[in-house]
Amino acid sequence: MNTAQTIAAIAGVELLRLIRSPTSFTLLLVVPALQLLLFGHAVRPTADQVKLAVAGPAASQDRILRLTGAAGLKVVAHHLPPGSAEAMVRSGRASVAVELPTGPFAPVRTVIDASEPGLTAKAESQIQAIYWQALAERNDVADYGPRLHIERLFNPGERSDWAFLPALTGTIMMISMLMLGTLSMARERELGTWEALIAMPVNRGELLAGKIAPLVVIGSAQGVIVLALSAGIFQLPLRGSIFALVALMPIFAAAHLVLGYALASRARTQLAALQGAVAFYLPAMLLSGFLYPFETLPPWAQALGRIFPLTHFVRASRDATLRGADAGTVLLHGSPIALFLGAALMLAFAQHRARLD
Amino acid sequence: MLSPDFKREGIAVDRVGKRFGARWVLRDLSFALAPGALLGLVGANGGGKTTTLRMLAGLLRPDEGTGRVFGYDIARPSNALRRQVGYMSQRLSLYPELSVAENLSFRARVLKLPRARSAIAESIDRLGLAPVTNIRFDRLSGGWARKVQFAAATIHRPKLLLLDEPTAGLDAASRHIFWRWLTEFASEGHIVIVSTHDLAEAERCPAILHYVAGKAEGPMSPSTLIGTAGCTTLEEAVLSMTADPG
Repeated sequence: MNTAQTIAAIAGVELLRLIRSPTSFTLLLVVPALQLLLFGHAVRPTADQVKLAVAGPAASQDRILRLTGAAGLKVVAHHLPPGSAEAMVRSGRASVAVELPTGPFAPVRTVIDASEPGLTAKAESQIQAIYWQALAERNDVADYGPRLHIERLFNPGERSDWAFLPALTGTIMMISMLMLGTLSMARERELGTWEALIAMPVNRGELLAGKIAPLVVIGSAQGVIVLALSAGIFQLPLRGSIFALVALMPIFAAAHLVLGYALASRARTQLAALQGAVAFYLPAMLLSGFLYPFETLPPWAQALGRIFPLTHFVRASRDATLRGADAGTVLLHGSPIALFLGAALMLAFAQHRARLD
Repeated sequence: MLSPDFKREGIAVDRVGKRFGARWVLRDLSFALAPGALLGLVGANGGGKTTTLRMLAGLLRPDEGTGRVFGYDIARPSNALRRQVGYMSQRLSLYPELSVAENLSFRARVLKLPRARSAIAESIDRLGLAPVTNIRFDRLSGGWARKVQFAAATIHRPKLLLLDEPTAGLDAASRHIFWRWLTEFASEGHIVIVSTHDLAEAERCPAILHYVAGKAEGPMSPSTLIGTAGCTTLEEAVLSMTADPG
């Protein structure tokens, strides 16, 4: 009886603490609700958002277009001159190209951007099905009709690790920087060093710059190490401008550090500050193209996803590694990251408290 | 009427109050101090002592009244004022992972001391910190930690030194050393304001402010407070004037 009373007393106190703690409330209700919403509505990978370009003789295209439409593929360009569909895939404007034969013995060429196998694998099988259906409609058989030739660009072996590793570089950096930024500030407040710091002649710009400077270097070094290990251990090809990607890393790291400081500015404890970090990086991972192909997300989720720096870093990283993009193309992805950094700075300055009240 | 010199060199607080939400924690605080003053803040917990120190340090904004420290408005504290103030909080608030020397060096650099190295060396020498200079702050005993915190608060020889219960948890010998430092510091022309729960210590102050339920009486000498209460010691006087909730 005594033991039961003790357990009941402890359980009662635990329940009260849970109910009265905003942190627990966030952990138990807000984060799961966010997960439910995102997993339930946003993450539905399908092939209907795969961009298809068709080129070749006009007469052959009508049947193909009818069949691709019926298969749910999204035709973004058709009736293109020979070779133009493949060019669209190489430049990133389409994921799949169908180059119809121009001569009697030429094959049907299908060129697939394999840098994201998760996006294009299903489309590839659908193209094969369309090919067989087209032959059947012509009462042809494979031996006599044009052959299907599939060419996978950027990641010929469809290695899932190659598709994953460039994006993982950004994800690791994002989580590390967000956590470091958040905990650094929250820890100062919990320890009491914050009170001593703001009593000294330091303005908010000096404070923020001084706090993030070493972490920006550490974060960038972390990104370079992950990339180097990916190339060394998993043979990830570094075909494009890696220097441009490395140049983006400090901006990417700073964006998350500053956001971490802003999130922690109002938090009373390290745990509460971490809640804010989790609430940010969870949707960022889901909506950035890291876990699921960005193109397969519904429009509202894509719009939301474009806000996250990770989305743009993942693209830059894939461009600089698998796709072999030049410096200009890679650096272009830095603009939205820099914009986010600017917004995070404004938020951090607005949240900064030079006093304790 | 305060002279212009006093306004530049002293502290003048007029009917200052502070509230948190709807609850007033301090009201009608008024006092003036000239250079060389050593003021003790005494009274029960929650009386407003820490709030007073934090307002003077620019860490809390007063919700009513006006206050000027060396001519600077405490409602709009500037870095120029912060350079002239040394603040030692109740909690141990130096970086635990850094050594004593590193903590002092950080202070000296942020305060932009022109001769930082000599200021650190002088501080270590003056306060006898040589045995712990290279020890991490979180590995110091309570007494050493308080001494180092005092060194950090005074490394720039501030014109105003604010100390929130600096001797809490210290043994008698350490307390004695602390009060000797405070007396010496004030005698050099600095203003020292120190809050304490130890009323025997408070008797060392030429003037005290006595806090009761968010109101401060004084400044007055400890003997005046003892006489007003008709008691023989400061402890008896304060106890007799503190409302008994029971």
